[in-house]
Amino acid sequence: MQDFLAYTVLGICLGSVYAIAATGIVVTYTTSGMFNFAHGAVATMCALVYWQLNQAWHVPGLIAVVLTICFFAPALGIFLELVVMRGLRDTNEVTKLVVPIAVLLAITGTATWIWFRDGARAIVPKKFFGARNIDVLGQPVYYHQVIGVVLAAAIAIGLYLVMYRTRLGVTMRATVDDRRLLMLNGGRPDHASMASWGIGCGLAGLAGVLLASQQGALQVFALTLLVIDSYAAAVAGRLRSVPIAYIGAMVLGLARSYFDMVSNAGQNWPAIANMRNAIPAILLFAALLLLPQGRLRGAVVTRTRERFNVPTMKQAVAWGAILIVGVAMLQALMKGAAVINLTNSMALSLMALSLVLLTGYAGEINLAVYAFAGIALIAAWQFDVGPGGLATQESLSLAAIVLAMVICAFIGGLIALPALRLSGLYLGLATFAFGVIVYQLVILQPRPLQGSIFGQQFTVNFFTNGSVTVPRPRWFGVDFRNERSFLILLTVMFVVIGIMLIRLRRSAYGRMIIAMKDSPAACATLGMNITRLKLGVFMLSAAIAGLGGLMWAAQQRTVASNNNFDGFASLLLFMIAVVCGIGYVSGALLAGVFLSVLSLAIPNVFQKLGSDYESLHWLFVTGLGNFAKFVGAALIGIRLARNPSGIAQQVMDGFRPLRRVPVGTGVWVASIVIWWLLAWRGVIGNWTFALGVIVSAFIVPRLLMAMYPQRFIDEGNDGREDLDMIGLSRPFITSDRELFDRELAIPLARRGGSDVTA
Amino acid sequence: MSLLECNALNMSFGGAKVLSNVDITAEAGAITGLIGPNGAGKTTLFNVITGLLQPTSGTVLLDGRNITGLKPFKRSRLGVARTFQRLELFTSLSVRDNIRVAGEIGAKWQRNSADLTAETDRVLDQLGIRDLADRDVTEIPTGMARRVEVGRALMTRPKILLLDEPASGQNEDETDEFADLLLELCATGTSILLVEHDVALVMKVCSFVQVLDFGVVIATGTPEEIQSNSLVLDAYLGAEQTP
Repeated sequence: MQDFLAYTVLGICLGSVYAIAATGIVVTYTTSGMFNFAHGAVATMCALVYWQLNQAWHVPGLIAVVLTICFFAPALGIFLELVVMRGLRDTNEVTKLVVPIAVLLAITGTATWIWFRDGARAIVPKKFFGARNIDVLGQPVYYHQVIGVVLAAAIAIGLYLVMYRTRLGVTMRATVDDRRLLMLNGGRPDHASMASWGIGCGLAGLAGVLLASQQGALQVFALTLLVIDSYAAAVAGRLRSVPIAYIGAMVLGLARSYFDMVSNAGQNWPAIANMRNAIPAILLFAALLLLPQGRLRGAVVTRTRERFNVPTMKQAVAWGAILIVGVAMLQALMKGAAVINLTNSMALSLMALSLVLLTGYAGEINLAVYAFAGIALIAAWQFDVGPGGLATQESLSLAAIVLAMVICAFIGGLIALPALRLSGLYLGLATFAFGVIVYQLVILQPRPLQGSIFGQQFTVNFFTNGSVTVPRPRWFGVDFRNERSFLILLTVMFVVIGIMLIRLRRSAYGRMIIAMKDSPAACATLGMNITRLKLGVFMLSAAIAGLGGLMWAAQQRTVASNNNFDGFASLLLFMIAVVCGIGYVSGALLAGVFLSVLSLAIPNVFQKLGSDYESLHWLFVTGLGNFAKFVGAALIGIRLARNPSGIAQQVMDGFRPLRRVPVGTGVWVASIVIWWLLAWRGVIGNWTFALGVIVSAFIVPRLLMAMYPQRFIDEGNDGREDLDMIGLSRPFITSDRELFDRELAIPLARRGGSDVTA
Repeated sequence: MSLLECNALNMSFGGAKVLSNVDITAEAGAITGLIGPNGAGKTTLFNVITGLLQPTSGTVLLDGRNITGLKPFKRSRLGVARTFQRLELFTSLSVRDNIRVAGEIGAKWQRNSADLTAETDRVLDQLGIRDLADRDVTEIPTGMARRVEVGRALMTRPKILLLDEPASGQNEDETDEFADLLLELCATGTSILLVEHDVALVMKVCSFVQVLDFGVVIATGTPEEIQSNSLVLDAYLGAEQTP
């Protein structure tokens, strides 16, 4: 009984910190309509700033707290609102989630860059009032924790009053409901948004400072995840209710505390030793199951800024062939190490393809692609290799791949089901939670699962020794253990699945998926069972993610349990895929290249420059190299707000001149082939080749535009002539009349014929 | 028995009562008009009939069957189709695909093997938007976009078609043409419940009109009766001040 009371007290202390974080999320969501995924990162950043002020610069504790929470955090929030979030109006749900994810990665990256660029170090923020404590029901409680409990309750009550009883609160809530109407009524929604981001980040900062000093040495990702745990509480309140979020946070804190009690801090049951860390994710699922079905969304805005064209099948097949030939030509020039990078990027592209279907076509979200990779890996290994060992197994069998994909689809369906009734954001959160559960309970599971079914003994191995080794395929008499042939195999796989996706997009099923994304409400009134369609898409996408993950693992041969499974890598993959152009198969290809280049190639280049020019080491390695490594990707993500259709679209627009001047295409292809031949024969080096191809690829289209200006008169207006300018830009001709009629959609029957003279 | 019957529907949003004890019927083989000033609750009523909103109380009957608890897609499969006052087109699809996809959704549950391409062309012709077929649906005028929504609804072969201000955005000639279309649809077996502000259109095509004001049905009758009903005139023009 004494124990029970003591753990209750501890649970309430923890729950209070969660409550502060969760109310911050609720404030930002109810008042700006944005789910601030970066909340946890802001909290971590603030904890580090507090440490820097207080312990590194010896600013007195109280002043350091005030500076951090009342100045730094709100300033950061207002900065984010002004510079980043304001650009997200009229974008779809996916973009609205990706940009905060990019902010999360940028902030954690910056924190790592500033404080941890040379690896781990002991940053231990001090508790307020040190070790002074009072005795509550036999449990010593630090003043620090008491402050947390009191503040949490005060903030919950205070915010509730602000939101419902003050003019600012009404304005803030009105901002979400109808921004324009608010402006017409003399409200200032921009001010309200700024206030909400300021308050939200201030609360994140407070939670971070309170939490960090109870956790021992501060680790950026661990602390960020800990604050992300509080998202479950915010979801319980449907991201809108402060009181329910407060109660949810208490349940969360108590659940973790009681689990510690009954499991003796995880010691009693080694198989679920990490359950403590999975509890918030499990509670998030429980909350999703209990939430009532939301109203079916209509089209949010009449026209979102994301636009994706659909290639014809002919184009898809042609580009697929070009890709295979291109990769084959490219690898012939490359050294072994570079080929590995290229194979790695192709495997990542394959994983990103799953998101083209799910996110690009259907507008749904999966933030746990690597969790599916892990599941596929365990399944295929179990089927093909088994506990017996690898020695007997030389080839990854087709059957194992199919089995792994089926299992991924099945598990994907199971976890998506509770969230599909709700909006896409909830599916995103559910998948992220699922990723955390899989990581904590399956990937980090040190023990094999043993049991028996119908008298048959079985053993399922997870990442038993901290890693799993998968064989590479040997099919059709070709040994794909060879790096180069494996690269070609992955390229062919990418092309085949890519073409299948485009085929699907052009089919009736594809049109239904697009219709569902555009207006679920209209689809329902046309008789579509939306949940079933979404479920099907999610399962198919999970299967592709599993296949991609399996190939990604086979590319590395041995995958360690701490390799990319902790949730953040999935966020990065999702973000980069969206930035590259999630509506296109080519976007997935670019995503793989980007991830590979950003994580390997660019830091390597700066490393090389740093060692070549010793005196500028600080600039190249400490500065630019680390910056690119830790923050670069995220900054690209934040730019998405400016161009929501992604990079692939821009690249294709850049090549549009080629389509208009067929001769130009010939010149373009010829120039690249010539560069390749020169490199292949060893006349020029690889750097010269790369430079030459880049110059040819980008200069030739520009040259064509300069040489044949008359073919590009109408550029810059969605490819059509600007009708308002006719008569000024060129003389009016009789046939324009027909053009105007057509553009104004005057039905044929009533068009007066061509006898009218203008 | 009426084709569509709403009995004592009540709907509140928070404290605001939007529908109170609304009884509305639509007869088979007829065009029923539903008029009322802005904010009278017409669109809310459509949302309740199609299941996008659950009423606070009351029932919706289709062909005598209680459909109040059914999900929107099930109601559609029983023969309820609608258009939206605030357009809900599939903005990533062309005009033709907007209409075609409705048939494709239908093909899943109707188990018909009709030639959807031919069917789509037929509907495009019927609505007079054939020459817009390959246009991007976001760049055609609102009046035409409303016709696309009608076409989309027709692809489900509804028993009853709920039209929410289909003529707004169409000019006079187009509206006349549209009136003929509605009469033709009605003659070929599609019953219609028409919400419309264009009184001339309502008077021309409807055989029966019901008037909603502040969530209450204030009058029902033939178009002639409604035109001379003092309550209706008050609702639209404001009651005369009596000293």
